[in-house]
Amino acid sequence: MTKTKLNILPVPTFNRLGVNFIEREAAFDEENISVPDGAERQTIQFVETDCKTTAAVGKNAKLKLVQIFTDSCASVLKASVADDAQFELIQLYIGGDNASEIITELNGYKSAFTAEIGYDLGADESLDLNLDVSHYGRRSTSDITANGVMRGNAQKTFKGTIDFRNGASGAKGSEKEDVILMSGTVMNRTVPVILCAEEDVEGSHGATIGRIDEQHIYYMRSRGIPEEKICEMITRARLDRIIKKIGDKDAQERICGILGRGDEDDE
Amino acid sequence: MKEKTQVADIDRSLYDFRYEEDESSFLDSGITPDIIREISAEKGDPAWMTEFRLRSLEIYNRAEMPQWGPDISGLDMDRIVTYIRPKKGMQSDWNDVPDDIKETFEKLGIPQAERESLAGVGAQYDSELVYHNVRREVAESGVVYTDLESAMHDERYADMIRSHFMKLVPPSDHKFAALHGAVWSGGSFVYVPAGVHLEIPLQSYFRLNARGAGQFEHTLIIVEENAYLHFIEGCSAPKYYEASLHAGCVELYVGRNSTLRYSTIENWSKNMYNLNTKRAVVAEGGKVEWVSGSFGSHVSYLYPMSILNGRGARAEFTGITFAGEGQNLDTGAKIVHNAPETSSYMNTRSISKSGGISTFRSAVTINENAVGSKSAVSCESLMLDSISRSDTIPAMVVKTDKADVGHEARIGRISDEAVFYLMSRGLDENAAKALIVSGFAENVSKELPLEYAVEMNNLINLEMKGSIG
Repeated sequence: MTKTKLNILPVPTFNRLGVNFIEREAAFDEENISVPDGAERQTIQFVETDCKTTAAVGKNAKLKLVQIFTDSCASVLKASVADDAQFELIQLYIGGDNASEIITELNGYKSAFTAEIGYDLGADESLDLNLDVSHYGRRSTSDITANGVMRGNAQKTFKGTIDFRNGASGAKGSEKEDVILMSGTVMNRTVPVILCAEEDVEGSHGATIGRIDEQHIYYMRSRGIPEEKICEMITRARLDRIIKKIGDKDAQERICGILGRGDEDDE
Repeated sequence: MKEKTQVADIDRSLYDFRYEEDESSFLDSGITPDIIREISAEKGDPAWMTEFRLRSLEIYNRAEMPQWGPDISGLDMDRIVTYIRPKKGMQSDWNDVPDDIKETFEKLGIPQAERESLAGVGAQYDSELVYHNVRREVAESGVVYTDLESAMHDERYADMIRSHFMKLVPPSDHKFAALHGAVWSGGSFVYVPAGVHLEIPLQSYFRLNARGAGQFEHTLIIVEENAYLHFIEGCSAPKYYEASLHAGCVELYVGRNSTLRYSTIENWSKNMYNLNTKRAVVAEGGKVEWVSGSFGSHVSYLYPMSILNGRGARAEFTGITFAGEGQNLDTGAKIVHNAPETSSYMNTRSISKSGGISTFRSAVTINENAVGSKSAVSCESLMLDSISRSDTIPAMVVKTDKADVGHEARIGRISDEAVFYLMSRGLDENAAKALIVSGFAENVSKELPLEYAVEMNNLINLEMKGSIG
């Protein structure tokens, strides 16, 4: 299998940072999701092989797409969102070496995109994530949130681009990444990009990268909780917040099974 | 009908005057080993420098053009004159400087600034320094402020120059660093001995008068332990239709517990390709403060870099970029945390109008050994119309869990709510909008000495009109 260039940053930056693209072997299965005008649909994918998903969300329609990555694979998701339509994406990365690209075109008036992404990268796992949201539609909105934990020798690159195209007046976009690093040998790269060719827009991005707040650790240790357990609790809390948003009991139980959690998770 | 807020282009008339050059003083355009040898001979380089130039040329010929920034295909290196012989040697009295050059600097206000508020001044015209002077009491404190060529030939400093020159920015760094290594000329050498606090700034001013030429000055500053220096750099050029090139290089060495503030007001003309490289290395407890205003140039690539090598070293970058018609200004900063408990803060503003493109680009790297380090980046962009562009491309690379890194960015236009609020307090709309834009730029102007803050305000020259429609 030949290597394919994936996760290309829409505007390249300093080569030495190693964030402009990755090269990876990939053989994609393809899937199309089409939500007709006015319809609502929820799709849950446990992604275990390389896949290319195309999603078209019709006028005034809603798509909730949940993708759970449990093994090493490459994923490309391309979505287009029409007038007054909503595309909600939930992604969870809980195993393996993953490369994932999400390209969303907000074509319609008041089209909306929300992405809630969680990851737990342990040992030698890796994740290269490239989101690219283009605002074409007037008053379109996007809101991207990524929360994750990195341990061991984990490597992660988060590239998030909000691209306000000329004509997208009244558009608003925001992105936020919050990463907790739990090992001195992790490699974290964060590249939150805003591209803007329209005056009448509001864009923001933020990122916090670091260790668990020392005051939190102190508080919990003073209650007799060992530091190892504190890290586990915090990791779990971050993932649970996203798992709860999936809203499908079977999927939630399957995820808990993969994470090695027992019945306690149902309580 | 809604009338848009109008913000005028920067008024460059103050800078846009020129004198005819004697073209017999130009070396041939282009870059060949013969031209490099000729530059080296003209300047009386020591042998090691001639070899250094030729090695740099080899690297330049092998290196690729940058693939990631603004388009520089309009820059034809075969048409750029890299060296212009000076009419007269460097002087330490303005009266001895040739009349047209003296007039140039007088129009720019340099002699007046020297009298009123500077500890020393260097003035470069095309390829060479034409004037350099430092106050007697400053020289007596052991501070050295001279042109790099003189220092290189002075046995007291020759070894220091050789051991520091292009060690922070090696010619292999990128194509235009290699070009600089091959053709550099002019610039300043500053040495501040341990324990000396220079309360008033030194300033170098670079003027490129010649048509189709390049300026390649090299600034080398060494601040020893427990010392303080504020260095100001100004630059301008008249406008021509042919492309001009500025590929200078700044290398700053900040000693233990010392502070170096480096302020730049860059106002090159709109035919200039400004491909400048600036870098500082900071020792334990030291601090580098960059204050940067980018207003001129057709294309800029400018990212001052701070390497924090000592425990507790700090870096601050405060910058503003104003991109108007025909400008593509790619600016920002790079910071490398390479020791424990280091900290950095980046705070930038950019304004785009009339089709101008402003890009904020940054890189913060926290290495494995930088435990206990902190970094914060804040950038804000203001779009004044929809034919312009404003992009923000920050990157953070973190290789240890024992660090805290934060980043925030915002982009938008002048807020109607803010205008409304100010109008409810009695300001008319024009005044309200002018106040908002001035406030937006204040983060940089408040960091400048008063006379440069005034210059910056003149540069921005805000002219507001319009009404809420």
